[in-house]
Amino acid sequence: MNGSPPRRAAAPWRPRQATARTAVVLAIAASASLGLVSGAQEPVLPEVLLSRQLAAAEGLQPGDVVQLAPDADGAGTRPFRVAGIYEPVPDPAQLGSLPRNVRLHLPDLLELTRRPGAPVGTEHVATINIAVRDPADAERVAEEINRRMPGVAARPAADATGSAATFRVLQRFHLAIALVTIVASTVFLLALTIMLVDERRETVGVLRLIGLPVRRILVQVSLEGLLIAGAGGLFGLGLAVMSEALINAYFQWRYDTALLFVRITPSVAATALVIAVPLGAAATVAASWALMRRNALRLARR
Amino acid sequence: MSAHAGDIIVQAAGVSRVFRMPAGPVTAVDDVTLQIAAREHMAIRGPSGCGKSTLLHILGCVDTPTSGTLRFGGRDVSRLPDAERSLLRLRSVGFVFQRFFLLPMLTAAENVELPQAEAGVARRERQRRSRELLEFVGLGRRADHRPSQLSGGEMQRVAIARALANRPGLLLADEPTGELDGATGEQIAQLLDRVNADGTALVIVTHDEALAGRARRILSMRDGRIDRETRR
Amino acid sequence: MNALAFAWRSLVRQPARAVLGVLGVAAVGALLLDMLLLSEGLVSSMRDLLDHSGFDLRITATDSRPGAGPRIEAAARAAAEIAALPSVRSAVALRFVDARVERADGTIIEAALQGVSEGPARPLTVLRGREIQQPGDVLVNETLARDAGLAPGSPLVLRAACTSDAEILPRITVTVSGTAEFPFETPGESIVAGSLGTLDEACGQSGAGEADLVLVASQGDAAAAAAAIQAARPDLHTVTNDELIGQFQASGFTYFRQIGAVLTTVTVTFALLLITVLLTVSVNQRLGQIAALRALGLSRRRVVSDVFFESVLIVGIGGALSLPLGILLARWLDGILKRMPGIPVDMHFFVFDPAALAMHALLLAVTALAAALYPMQLVARLPIVTTLRNEVVS
Repeated sequence: MNGSPPRRAAAPWRPRQATARTAVVLAIAASASLGLVSGAQEPVLPEVLLSRQLAAAEGLQPGDVVQLAPDADGAGTRPFRVAGIYEPVPDPAQLGSLPRNVRLHLPDLLELTRRPGAPVGTEHVATINIAVRDPADAERVAEEINRRMPGVAARPAADATGSAATFRVLQRFHLAIALVTIVASTVFLLALTIMLVDERRETVGVLRLIGLPVRRILVQVSLEGLLIAGAGGLFGLGLAVMSEALINAYFQWRYDTALLFVRITPSVAATALVIAVPLGAAATVAASWALMRRNALRLARR
Repeated sequence: MSAHAGDIIVQAAGVSRVFRMPAGPVTAVDDVTLQIAAREHMAIRGPSGCGKSTLLHILGCVDTPTSGTLRFGGRDVSRLPDAERSLLRLRSVGFVFQRFFLLPMLTAAENVELPQAEAGVARRERQRRSRELLEFVGLGRRADHRPSQLSGGEMQRVAIARALANRPGLLLADEPTGELDGATGEQIAQLLDRVNADGTALVIVTHDEALAGRARRILSMRDGRIDRETRR
Repeated sequence: MNALAFAWRSLVRQPARAVLGVLGVAAVGALLLDMLLLSEGLVSSMRDLLDHSGFDLRITATDSRPGAGPRIEAAARAAAEIAALPSVRSAVALRFVDARVERADGTIIEAALQGVSEGPARPLTVLRGREIQQPGDVLVNETLARDAGLAPGSPLVLRAACTSDAEILPRITVTVSGTAEFPFETPGESIVAGSLGTLDEACGQSGAGEADLVLVASQGDAAAAAAAIQAARPDLHTVTNDELIGQFQASGFTYFRQIGAVLTTVTVTFALLLITVLLTVSVNQRLGQIAALRALGLSRRRVVSDVFFESVLIVGIGGALSLPLGILLARWLDGILKRMPGIPVDMHFFVFDPAALAMHALLLAVTALAAALYPMQLVARLPIVTTLRNEVVS
């Protein structure tokens, strides 16, 4: 893109690793035949793991030998043996792009990407991932590391900025869509309940004529509304669970990913029911309320 | 449809109507033969379930006989397709129902205009005709009122006006006073007499002995058959 | 009275349910319109931004994103070589680094520093002051000018961060020649733009003469220009605006197209189901009347068309209302989505498109027809005699 430089995220820019990733694309296709020849001699080569998507795209399997280079011009290539194929952790920020990744042992990567003449031990890594025994302790551990090692910046993974902010915005967007859907549903629900209540106007008129108080009838209507809304809510939940499976299956196939696109958690289900059931019951009562205010004789007359 | 007294409008020959029910077939009308002449005033009476309404529906081409022949204006209409039967009813038959079946969102005049509009009558002509008919039934001043603003008797009078909208030669009435009190029913009966005197053949299905007694020809039905015929 | 007028009377007779039905369609129609706009909005907006910049080709050293891969060496010479091609109107090289601007009080503003080679056109629009004319001149965007209290002629102290190695480069002092608007600046971003030479100086001559990107304006045929550049410089990677859009469509924008498609399907299905239920209940309440009309001689086609036109009225009026509602809703949703990090100020997710409007009308028309199918069938197959009898019995 022009006009504005790409903002660098908290993690420093890693040109050599990015280049290595790109160089794999150039090197692998040319090296398959070399790998087959080399395989006959079976030297002891350092091992790498390939992402499933890369292996499928290039037709590689465990045991094949590949050439990796840190630069696009192929200078400094070294042979590696494919030890296995792994499924990369799906990254929602990379949706749409196939993860063509290679995993090396860190010493091998540092060896591959070391600048000529640079002494061993002067390399640096961009990030160290730490798994703490108790995840709730992450913040305290980060503070401790920052205190003891001034040259590094440690933070809990949950505090990551950049793509997390993106998903917070998306969450708000989805919530906005949900609100509009609820409004539309409520309007239709009201229309339907008015029609259904209208069908019973004669019954309501007769009940009032024989002496039942309005409150009594409203209580009955409310209970019925709650029952119908509850049944409807549960049915809707069942429909949502089925849709969840379908949507996830489709998009996982479409993007060749293990990401979950829709997830109905107990909290989400509870929220949906808490909104839907009272709404349904309230719509029935609101529709009936208008009817109760009319003259009983007129209601009973066909 | 202009017809001279004595001209045969409807001819039913051995018509039967059998309804297929889960519990077995039910013969509602069994081998009935009759003719209806122009300007005739006929009543059909009988106990509930004897088939009189079914016979009325067959005569009016609303329903088709399971067997037998039905002729309308000399034409065999026993197996006519639905569209042609609709057209026949629109132009040649008027119906009056027990429940009135006026359209609540239209005024009295608009209810009477509706069949005329369907028959392609020009707007000005059908408005004139509607007013004329409403005057005929005594509701000239209520033309712009909706059914909810009319009494039961008034609604039935509008229904009669609607049935006469396209000048049918035959008016069929199914229990026209069934939902009305005695005095109102008498008013309707008198109106129907006037309709008949004006040249329209009239067939009434009724439980009402007084209403049936006004007819010149009375058919009594039992178990789907014509049991007895009386003329006065 | 024709079928449309009749349908209108039927609706007006039950104003509460008619109004609610119309409002429901309006709400659903608004969402439908927005999802149709969202499907292509981002692509359309991106295309506008790219075209508006005045350049229709981008050249990088490899197929990596500018700034993510190796730089183009001897960039000014490469730009001049490309600009000399007959199918090219102009070419300008750019390099981007991070920088820290020091305010007068010593506080720091994180900024983006870009170096731009000389050329007849640059990817920016001067708002105040003048263009970069002499060494040390820089243009700043309005955000930085406001935050740092800068005006044309103000000195600006900055320290660049040009490589990934831990290094401290010396401060340099430049002069603000004016303020400018940058097509891809994001909200709150601070931008400083100078010549490639100024950037080289700021970087301590590290990577001197290199650029992340060369922007090219063709003579009108971008594809021909791309072919010519590829032939002249096969070592470089050239992509036209259309190809760039295609890449974004396949990756970054794909989520919005997919969610637009999913929500379009859901809203249409939703509207279809609910209008069908509305009409079916309405028809079921009028079966006696319909049977009577059929007995009086109204044709099957006539009574069926009455139902159809009821659907047309509900969806038609609701659809018309959904347009202003949809525009308001789009503004709200656009405001939410634009808070995503890295979204340029001038980029929008919802862009009005006549094609989307046409699709909106078509989908609503199909919904009106489809929703009326079942109630129309009910009416068409209504057994007159049985219905009349049931009405009396009930």
